[in-house]
Amino acid sequence: MASVLTTRAPASPRGGSPSLSGAGASRADCPLGGEVALRFDGVVRRYGKHLALNHLPFAVRRGETLALLGPNGAGKSTTISLLLGLLRAHDGTVEVLGTTARDAVAQGRVGAMLQTGSGNGLPPGVKVGEALALVRRLYRDPAPFDTTVERAGIGPFVGCRTNQLSGGEAQRVRFALAIAGDPELVFLDEPTVAMDVDGRRTFWRMMRQFGQEGRTILFATHHLEEADQIADRVIVINHGQVVADGPGATLKAAVAARHLRFVVTDPEPERYDRLEGVTDVEICGSGVTLISLDADATARDLVRSNIAFRDLEVTGACLEDAFIALTQCARITGGEESR
Amino acid sequence: MSAHFAFVRFELVRLLRSWKFLAITVGFPVVFYMLFLGERSSGQIIDGTVPWRVYLMVSMCTFGALVAALNAGGSRLATERSTGWARQLRVTPMPAWSYVATKVAASMLVVLPVLILVELVGLTFGEVRLGIGQWVGLTVLLWATALPFAVLGVFVGFMVNAETAYPVVTALMFVLGYFGGLFNPVSQMPGALQSAAQVLPSFHHASLALELLASRTLGAANWLVLAGYTVVLGLALAWKYRVEESRGLA
Repeated sequence: MASVLTTRAPASPRGGSPSLSGAGASRADCPLGGEVALRFDGVVRRYGKHLALNHLPFAVRRGETLALLGPNGAGKSTTISLLLGLLRAHDGTVEVLGTTARDAVAQGRVGAMLQTGSGNGLPPGVKVGEALALVRRLYRDPAPFDTTVERAGIGPFVGCRTNQLSGGEAQRVRFALAIAGDPELVFLDEPTVAMDVDGRRTFWRMMRQFGQEGRTILFATHHLEEADQIADRVIVINHGQVVADGPGATLKAAVAARHLRFVVTDPEPERYDRLEGVTDVEICGSGVTLISLDADATARDLVRSNIAFRDLEVTGACLEDAFIALTQCARITGGEESR
Repeated sequence: MSAHFAFVRFELVRLLRSWKFLAITVGFPVVFYMLFLGERSSGQIIDGTVPWRVYLMVSMCTFGALVAALNAGGSRLATERSTGWARQLRVTPMPAWSYVATKVAASMLVVLPVLILVELVGLTFGEVRLGIGQWVGLTVLLWATALPFAVLGVFVGFMVNAETAYPVVTALMFVLGYFGGLFNPVSQMPGALQSAAQVLPSFHHASLALELLASRTLGAANWLVLAGYTVVLGLALAWKYRVEESRGLA
């Protein structure tokens, strides 16, 4: 069962849809057991009227590396802000290392690399080593200076001024600051955003090494590949809800959605919905786009159904569409779960 | 406690390495001092109390404190908050109040050398002669009463964004400087402006020091206005910090 991709129904009101009734809805349990590092129970967070997180449930085991995958605006940064106590939940509970988010931060057991604003996120006018030395001193029991320098691979620019760094170098320095306190738990919000391919590879190697020492890591990304390769488990969120939760490989297979585009003289939406593998139908004039989890089966069914289509074109869906596919998929699996 | 000292030292190092900050903080009071020096004869008695040379030095000390405090907070703070560094510190075990307190402390610490610098200009070019006790008393008084300026600078850094901070700081420098009677004695301004000066901390900051040098009782109104500014701005700062915190911006 451990490798099964669990998906959750979308738009569930408080208490959950029928598919999520029972223990699973009120308490987010770790699918793999073990000691819980993080728990998010029915968390709601609004920005004005906009619902950023809608009863989000998930839990992370100690030592686990979890990817929070989702498009921009899905609620990834909001989730991390809540886990760091930077934001308060409007409903539900956030548990971090057996205590509240704020306490966990105050105890120095948590480190974070957040998204930057207008600059590189580092204070201008100081050397990298000085910034690291300061952050170390803010923790009660920090890692040795040299250990952090080595872990983050910032040796070559420890003596540089923070405003002389390239984007990728600055990211590594910010990673060093995140792990300076030798935290049990690290949050990384889109950590590789300013890095080139090489930089990304190096960064993930360092991070994985850091995670191997029994630490819990949660990172947000919108790169499916990154999530798949680095994380033990991937949680897909969209519109503030958990869309899917499972190991990367299973997830990747599930989002192998394809677009089938064709033209018909007179579109009949209800017919396309019934085709095998179709999760979503978009019609624009005489153009029809089917989003399918099994393009071969859909194509075969399309031919069999005697629909008078022309100009058929099959393309890979982008991640955004994959999320839609997953959401649809969740509805189907959700129905089965309830039986 | 050592972490707080480390943070204050870190901020001081950053301030002293910034050419822009040093140029503004040293340049403005010294250049203005030189410009105003020849405006009147140095012995001219102002408001029947002190000669122009003393009045000018005290005024330029106040102006220097104002410039240093506003620029140490102000746009530097606004910029740093917009880059995400302030948030990075928030996810360390450092208590939230420490960030604000450190900024105020660092501003206060850069005010002191500016005061001494202006006093040295007074001693060398300004023909100011005081007893050692007077020098020390003057410096301590000017420094301690610069607290509302330090709080104001940090407050501005929290209220405005990186783009608008600079003009706001510049405007405050000159509004508080001119209307506070630092460039021209308040008694020689039109009546409406004279009453306006009564509500400005810059006027009361200089007034206290002038009273000290004229061996008069230090006016209660001066203390009251300076303390009032410190408390009100401090509370406003705490409020602003809380609002930002609840929105996850701080």
